[in-house]
Amino acid sequence: MGNDIARQFAHLPAAQAAEAIARHLEAFWDPRMRRELEALAAEGDDSLDPLLVAAAGRLAAHASRSEPDAQP
Amino acid sequence: MSQSIWDPEVDFGTPAVPDAASVSVTIDGRRVDVPAGTSVLRAATEVGVTIPKLCATDSLKAFGSCRMCLVEVDGGKGVPASCTTPCADGMVVSTQTETVRALRRNVMELYLSDHPEDCDGCARGNCEIQAMAATVGSAEVRYGRPESRGHVAHPQPVDESNPYFAFDASACIVCSRCVRACSDIQGTFALTVEGRGFDSRISAGGTDFLGSECVSCGACVQACPTSALQEHSVVELGMPTRSVETTCAYCGVGCSFRAEVKGEGQDAQVVRMVPSKNGGANEGHSCVKGRFAYGYASHQDRQLSPMLRDSIDDEWRTVSWDEAITRVAEGFQALQAEHGVGAIGGISSSRCTNEEVYVVQKMVRAAFGNNNIDTCARVCHSPTGYGLKQTFGTSAGTQDFRSVEKADVILLIGANPTDAHPVFASRMKRRLREGARLIVADPRRIDLVRSPHVEAAYHLPVLPGSNVAFVNAMAHVIVTEGLHDEGFVRERCEDADDYLAFIADQANSPEAMAEATGVDPEQLRAAAVLFATGGNAAIYYGLGVTEHSQGSTMVMGMANLAMVTGNIGRPGVGVNPLRGQNNVQGSCDMGSFPHEFPGYRHVSQDDVRGIYEQLWGKTLDPEPGLRIPNMFDSALAGTFRGLYVQGEDIAQSDPNTQHVEAALRAMDLVVVQDLFLNETARFAHVFLPGTSFLEKDGTFTNAERRINRVRPVFASKVGMDEWEITCAIGRAMGYDMSYTAASEIMDEIAATTPTFAGVSFARLDEVGSMQWPVYDTTSTGTPIMHIGEFVRGKGRLVETVFVPTTERSTRKFPLILTTGRILSQYNVGAQTRRTANNTWHPEDVLEIHPADAEVRGISTGDLVDLSSRVGSTTLRASVSERMPAGVVYTTFHHPVTGANVVTTENSDWATNCPEYKVTAVQVGVANARGDDAVAQAREPAETHA
Repeated sequence: MGNDIARQFAHLPAAQAAEAIARHLEAFWDPRMRRELEALAAEGDDSLDPLLVAAAGRLAAHASRSEPDAQP
Repeated sequence: MSQSIWDPEVDFGTPAVPDAASVSVTIDGRRVDVPAGTSVLRAATEVGVTIPKLCATDSLKAFGSCRMCLVEVDGGKGVPASCTTPCADGMVVSTQTETVRALRRNVMELYLSDHPEDCDGCARGNCEIQAMAATVGSAEVRYGRPESRGHVAHPQPVDESNPYFAFDASACIVCSRCVRACSDIQGTFALTVEGRGFDSRISAGGTDFLGSECVSCGACVQACPTSALQEHSVVELGMPTRSVETTCAYCGVGCSFRAEVKGEGQDAQVVRMVPSKNGGANEGHSCVKGRFAYGYASHQDRQLSPMLRDSIDDEWRTVSWDEAITRVAEGFQALQAEHGVGAIGGISSSRCTNEEVYVVQKMVRAAFGNNNIDTCARVCHSPTGYGLKQTFGTSAGTQDFRSVEKADVILLIGANPTDAHPVFASRMKRRLREGARLIVADPRRIDLVRSPHVEAAYHLPVLPGSNVAFVNAMAHVIVTEGLHDEGFVRERCEDADDYLAFIADQANSPEAMAEATGVDPEQLRAAAVLFATGGNAAIYYGLGVTEHSQGSTMVMGMANLAMVTGNIGRPGVGVNPLRGQNNVQGSCDMGSFPHEFPGYRHVSQDDVRGIYEQLWGKTLDPEPGLRIPNMFDSALAGTFRGLYVQGEDIAQSDPNTQHVEAALRAMDLVVVQDLFLNETARFAHVFLPGTSFLEKDGTFTNAERRINRVRPVFASKVGMDEWEITCAIGRAMGYDMSYTAASEIMDEIAATTPTFAGVSFARLDEVGSMQWPVYDTTSTGTPIMHIGEFVRGKGRLVETVFVPTTERSTRKFPLILTTGRILSQYNVGAQTRRTANNTWHPEDVLEIHPADAEVRGISTGDLVDLSSRVGSTTLRASVSERMPAGVVYTTFHHPVTGANVVTTENSDWATNCPEYKVTAVQVGVANARGDDAVAQAREPAETHA
């Protein structure tokens, strides 16, 4: 599921894509799902798209959770 | 003899004239002002003068054949028919001169000379011949009258092939109302008049009604002035004595109906459903489902009492409401105590009223304490909500249905309205017959590609999974050929430069996208030019857009297309989602989403959450909750343990059935609230009986944002209204939620949701219906949105990069399965399978192209195995060229077919709307084990309709 999201943003510069993915996850994913993703990313799960991993790293940094603008 | 026909709605004889300059006429000494072009017949009716008529009715253009409505006009010649005579300023009309009265008597004698004296309609009091005869005074018939049906000039057997109505030619006066209703209103052209003069007779194309092109909409039955075309229910039950205005509970068109009833209280019986002329969505028309298939509400399968069981392997036991509610509340509380607040959730129904679903999300948010609330829009139009909110600022279509009357070009993508939204399809066909051009983008050759007097200018058989490539290619052509509306783009849109540069890239050209789309580039280019230059261009779309891995992206792509061509903000244009269920729009509006409150406001918005916290007296969760697919995954992971399901059958409707069933089995407490023990109830521990639309008091919101009243024909058969059940659960869980009437729930919605601020039951009773937004009590709603400005200010042009689905055909699964619907059945079939609609579609079949069938040795009628990487099922094949080679098609109306056993977990990236339209499959001749299963599906349902 997360990889599907990442693929939609892959045409953007990596940092921009990671930020957009993170904002999408915060707007639409239940916290337990985000925590599970963060845990998988922290474990180095190689099935995760690199952009998704980058996004997972940004999740905790965000204070605002307003609905993001879509890119794709 | 009865002198009047019971009809709560006045028949004005001819249609109303659209706004025009007023003219003044005098009819029998009474002056009346009417729009120029109004018929004398209509003007007379408006001023209280009754002119006899037989061939005229206000749903059809004047025909002037019966010669009953003759009048005399001062200064005019002869005795013209008042139905075909337009009013002129200063006209003086006399309707009761001795000349016209004598002529009417003579004409009536001729009609009666071939009208049987034992006409059932005359005896019942619903034959206009009898009423007109009494009006014109035809005591003597000099030519004699036939004693019975068998003694008319051309006796024929009664055609009883249709399960809902019969055609008795002996009572027919060949007024051709039925023929004109079938052509002008329905657009099917199934009926004609054969023969000439006294040998004329109505024919359904040389066969009986069931064998003809007739789609059983009932427009002919409604138009018939005698009892020649008559509902079986009227013959069986007699004429109704009262009516209740309500709204259909089938599709997203939301037709208004008069439920015509006899009897009172629990003895009340629906005699027939008659579409209401004043219905904003349907204007007097209906389809076979809404008009005839209401019998499920009294089917023997209806469960009327609460039931419990400890294990899903136990038998059900009937219990009291108190015991059932207590079990639910205590069970949910125990699960939360052990597994956390987020361990339970709810799914609200897209078939229940706005009020009923509002209290479900309130219960989840305030009583459960989380945002684990979702609705069936998840699996159909959730991408519409996402995509249109991102681009326009609101999660709904932009127009009303009437807007199609001003369209010059119609782009129909991934929708089959003649089957899924038939009453709207009739409107569309009318406009197409007037000359609007049609572009169909669909892998399947749907009926609208070529049907009577309608032919698509272009049928672009877009391959499943390539919609975004297609819409990008359309926009590419328009922009690179300089056909876009530069002024609109610059003035009303943002991110214009980025988008225009993106879409102009050769990678988006029809030629570059041809392999993905399967569409001839020249055809696509021509269609794009037509869309951009053909005048008002409107986009209509359905689940063939949304149920894809890029469903949301495609919605944004269509919004881009509308914006770059300036086709927003006026009649005849727009982006129009054809939403499937009667209240899926409403369910979404009411906040049945894990991330949004009512009115599409994110749960994280402090100011919005504060409104509900203050009113509800609870601190609310600011984080999004679980969507339906997430609930299943979490159930299997052990963190989601209890589910309340209102009016949805997720075990049949959701993809990857094995996954859904495993998730339901993994839960400790599944509560199903429904009319019937459906597939999901197989996994339930508590069953709470629900109410049909005939018992509900509330509102539905249709695909054009129109809020319609639903009024009870009789009281709840289960002892509680559905909103009362939900509130009782909330209270039993310690949260005080109570209302004394459904109207109070709407008042709360209006008080907390700006787009509903002017809505109330009282206002709806006064004006009939309103399309939101209704910002205050002086407004009657907003038919057309984004006039002058988008809801979000400027429209957002989004770079919609085509990302192919991961679901690809392989050597093992070389075909692509796509799914859809059929006219006579509805969604999972829970309602329609319990009616005589099974006559037309007793089982789901697999449509397969002849080339694919031949290499597999498959013929029509053969049982075939349909398999994918997740499962397999068996059903009968139908060899058809409607599908392109490589693509197969089926419906999902019968649980025994199990179409969703083969659909996968793939979904839209943004919303998790399942990718039902793209599944890699293999098809082969079945082994013998399939016979019994398919045979079961053919068992006709007993009905009490």
